Amino acid sequence: MAALRAGEANLGTTIMAVEFDGGVVVGADSRTTTGSYIANRVTDKLTKVHEHIYCCRSGSAADTQAVADVVKYHLDMYSAQHGEAPTVKVAASLFQEICYQNKNNLSAGIIVAGWDARDGASVYNIPLGGSLHRETFAIGGSGSTYIYGYCDKVFRTGMSRDECVEFVKNSVSLAMTRDGSSGGVIRLAVITKAGVERIFVPGNMLPSQYLG
Amino acid sequence: MSIMQYNGSAIVAMAGKGCVAIAADKRLGQRALTVDTEFQKVFPITDRTYIGLPGLATDVKTLYDRFRMRVNLYKHNEERTIEPKTFSHLVSHMLYERRFGPYFVEPVVAGLDKNDEPYICGMDLIGCINFAKDFIVGGTASDNLYGMCESLWEPELGPEDLFETISQALLNAVDRDALSGWGAVVHIITPEGVITRDLKGRMD
Repeated sequence: MAALRAGEANLGTTIMAVEFDGGVVVGADSRTTTGSYIANRVTDKLTKVHEHIYCCRSGSAADTQAVADVVKYHLDMYSAQHGEAPTVKVAASLFQEICYQNKNNLSAGIIVAGWDARDGASVYNIPLGGSLHRETFAIGGSGSTYIYGYCDKVFRTGMSRDECVEFVKNSVSLAMTRDGSSGGVIRLAVITKAGVERIFVPGNMLPSQYLG
Repeated sequence: MSIMQYNGSAIVAMAGKGCVAIAADKRLGQRALTVDTEFQKVFPITDRTYIGLPGLATDVKTLYDRFRMRVNLYKHNEERTIEPKTFSHLVSHMLYERRFGPYFVEPVVAGLDKNDEPYICGMDLIGCINFAKDFIVGGTASDNLYGMCESLWEPELGPEDLFETISQALLNAVDRDALSGWGAVVHIITPEGVITRDLKGRMD
């Protein structure tokens, strides 16, 4: 796996995606750093690759943007050629192919999530080596290490859409407090058959927690 | 990552009209992980002299204890409190003693001398004194602090205005630094006494 070069923009990050009956909730912080300087404090790390399919980007900003652009192109082609929207599985598979085959030159941890007519809601985690993991909920990025315990304890299957939104908000918020590479605002997207709803949580409206 | 960036910090001192201010963040980190949000980095040396110590946290603690002992000995021998300028030279000497195995701190000194004149200075890790009449910055957010101070500082600020200025300089500088922040403390040193305030800032 390639390490970040000096001066390269880093999506330090906390990213997350959770499945519920009828859709997915994806969420991320908004900090991009070059070294310790915060180059962008309002980054949008939730990238649309198709109408009902989003990816959450962590690792090198340049690498993940480039990979997402390529996948977006391919998914566009797919829907033109097949006459129907690609499934989330197809999108995840495309991400995996690129991340695995170029693993020595990339630094990209990506979560793919969305809704399609065939499989409903799906979440796929693609960590650094380019492996593919379908999960009911996925966390990624440097900040995720601080919330494994919290997520494992709080998550349960069968949560409603609003419960999933709260779960993502609380988890990302906890990670942002502890991880120096995560911070800023929380961006969420709720993807269902009906479409995509974007939610924005500014820094002064983060869930309350013990701050020392 | 350089050893000076391991724990993260942001310190700033400003001179005003008949007063000085010194402020610091409160984060103690270990690379990207935040371990403490109440870590002290600015220490009183006398009633009218404070020192801010950005850099490696273990050296921050050790140096403060060493300074405390030397200042207490000074008081015993001289039978008077040490002046800020004299203290700065003492610090410089102690740092240069370790020229080839230095302490990883870059101190910031702020105080009022016996004539109530403001005194501020900074130092590099081997004791080179940087004297200034306006402001001194230090820590991982020093570049950001330079920008904020250069634009916000003006001469002859009174205690209340100096507090606002130094607070805004610190808060906005640390919000662009991943390794500093998580709370802030400001000390305003006047001939009447020291006013210490905690700032409410972003905790990310």
